[in-house]
Amino acid sequence: MEVEKGKTAKYLREKLGGVPEQAKHNLKEFNSIKKLMLEALKEEDLTVIQLSEKLNMPTDKVFYYLMSLVKYGFVKTGDIDDMDEYYTYKLNE
Amino acid sequence: MEKNIDKTSYDALVIGAGIAGGEAALNLANTGYKVLLVDKELSVGGKMIMLSKVFPTLDCSACITTPKVSEISRHSNITIFTGAQASNIRKIGEKEFTARINKQPRYVHIEDCTSCQLCEEACPVSVSDQYQYGLIGRKAAFIPFSICSPKAAAIDIENCTLCGACERACPTNCIDFTMEPEIIDIKVKTVVLATGFKLFDPLDIPRYGYGKFKNVITAMQMEREIAPTRPFNTILRPKDGKVPDKIAYVLCVGSRDASVGNPICSQICCMYSIKQAQLLMGALPMADVTIYYINIRSFGKGFEEFYQQAKGMGVNFVKGKIGRITEKENGNLILRYEDINSGKLQEEEHDMVILSTGVLPNEGISELFEGDTLGLDKFNFIGQSDALAGPSRTSIDGVFVAGTASGPMDIPDSILSAGSASSEAISYLIQHS
Ligand SMILES: Cc1cc2nc3c(=O)[nH]c(=O)nc-3n(C[C@H](O)[C@H](O)[C@H](O)COP(=O)(O)OP(=O)(O)OC[C@H]3O[C@@H](n4cnc5c(N)ncnc54)[C@H](O)[C@@H]3O)c2cc1C
Ligand code: SF4
Ligand code: SF4
Repeated sequence: MEVEKGKTAKYLREKLGGVPEQAKHNLKEFNSIKKLMLEALKEEDLTVIQLSEKLNMPTDKVFYYLMSLVKYGFVKTGDIDDMDEYYTYKLNE
Repeated sequence: MEKNIDKTSYDALVIGAGIAGGEAALNLANTGYKVLLVDKELSVGGKMIMLSKVFPTLDCSACITTPKVSEISRHSNITIFTGAQASNIRKIGEKEFTARINKQPRYVHIEDCTSCQLCEEACPVSVSDQYQYGLIGRKAAFIPFSICSPKAAAIDIENCTLCGACERACPTNCIDFTMEPEIIDIKVKTVVLATGFKLFDPLDIPRYGYGKFKNVITAMQMEREIAPTRPFNTILRPKDGKVPDKIAYVLCVGSRDASVGNPICSQICCMYSIKQAQLLMGALPMADVTIYYINIRSFGKGFEEFYQQAKGMGVNFVKGKIGRITEKENGNLILRYEDINSGKLQEEEHDMVILSTGVLPNEGISELFEGDTLGLDKFNFIGQSDALAGPSRTSIDGVFVAGTASGPMDIPDSILSAGSASSEAISYLIQHS
């Protein structure tokens, strides 16, 4: 079968009869966490611990996703506190 | 469905493209032999390309690896297959081996990829980044890491939702989901095994809390945190993003420990921990770094001086055996240890703990062979048939071993070992031509 360049994902999706459930689940989870985090940061700059309290989410999970959002360019690192311990994070607008 | 591609001939098959395999391939290629270099990962470079700096000189690891990797990649006598594994290696007569190469699709035509990262930007999926040892996420369409070779994107098909956003963003149309696994049957005259080592999994010692207490990380994770291609802006602890200021190293995790099945010394952990301690003191001038050790094995050239240099910089060395690590509510860690000099039990609080995990053999290498048996040593590293007279010879005539596939060693020794393996392979090729 001749498959048009630039449209091959559709070909594989049809061949496999859909998308693996785990991949769909991962995407859903990431999107919902990303949304929550970006909304929280819209209001104010926050540290990992403050964001964790605001979202009622474990600090290590917040840290992992927040660092990923920094990497992807949605969030940027702000200032460090007076004790040189915790950075705040802000939207990368 | 798998495609069956025609047979191809090379002088040498080198399995594993870490520093040892890369060096062996280069030596063979520079002598005029045609080499097929295969690695199961998406990039050549092995573990060395992921390191920060190297002991005892503190030279930048990437600065040493990158020119070598580019020399290997550009060499007209070397063909590289990444995402590929060899199997069914069989000796046919006195002069030839046949082997099967199983190449997984990358879903990107690497020759057309400009590594512009537009696919990465467009991809909505985020999963754990194996090349940052799980410290951060990466996309399903991704460039493995910034100094990878080939410098091209790949698609993580297991996590891909097949949305097509990457394809639409790609300016060169090089993403191709019609790619399939390839099977390539080859003929070679000699084989060099440079499959390297794996790291001890600290989950196997639950009393250290790895996995449960997020501020307990491995030395390989710390290597990433201090490397120029680091995941964060500075050194941060994964539990809550705090900049640590009281850091502990626990040496011999999974080494010299018969209870976890590895009675031997890993030879590199003392020195890489001392290296990291020095780098941490440079990066975090206010931090205290303590190394808990049983013995410091600073046996190589310049190693004892390097150890003394760390002491001089203020790294605290405690001869102590760690019994258990527990976590406080604020994420700090309590190390309970036996002070070996006094015999007393002590406790000390740290805000981050690095486990210096040991070197283990990669499994399944003998299963790559059919017919002849590839002998292993008693620790399951590839057996050296004559460790004194010909350390790179194996139980199969014409098959040689390079680097840490034969036992723990550092980078200079891996390069030396690769030199030995390639010389033996060249001599074998001349004798059997
Ligand atoms: C945390 C840490 C810090 C270190 N710091 C230093 C330092 O400062 N200085 C120093 O001298 N040394 C250091 N080392 C040691 C150094 O990493 C090793 O000496 C060196 O990487 C060994 O190279 P190698 O090629 O033998 O193995 P590896 O780097 O393990 O390469 C093996 C390659 O083979 C591939 N492979 C494995 N199995 C297969 C298969 N079946 N098919 C195809 N491919 C396969 C792997 O993907 C890999 O690319 C450090 C090690 C660690 C863990
Ligand atoms: S696959 Fe396409 S979009 Fe992705 S890095 Fe390569 S050229 Fe750029
Ligand atoms: S098709 Fe897969 S890799 Fe490409 S953007 Fe969509 S999820 Fe990402």
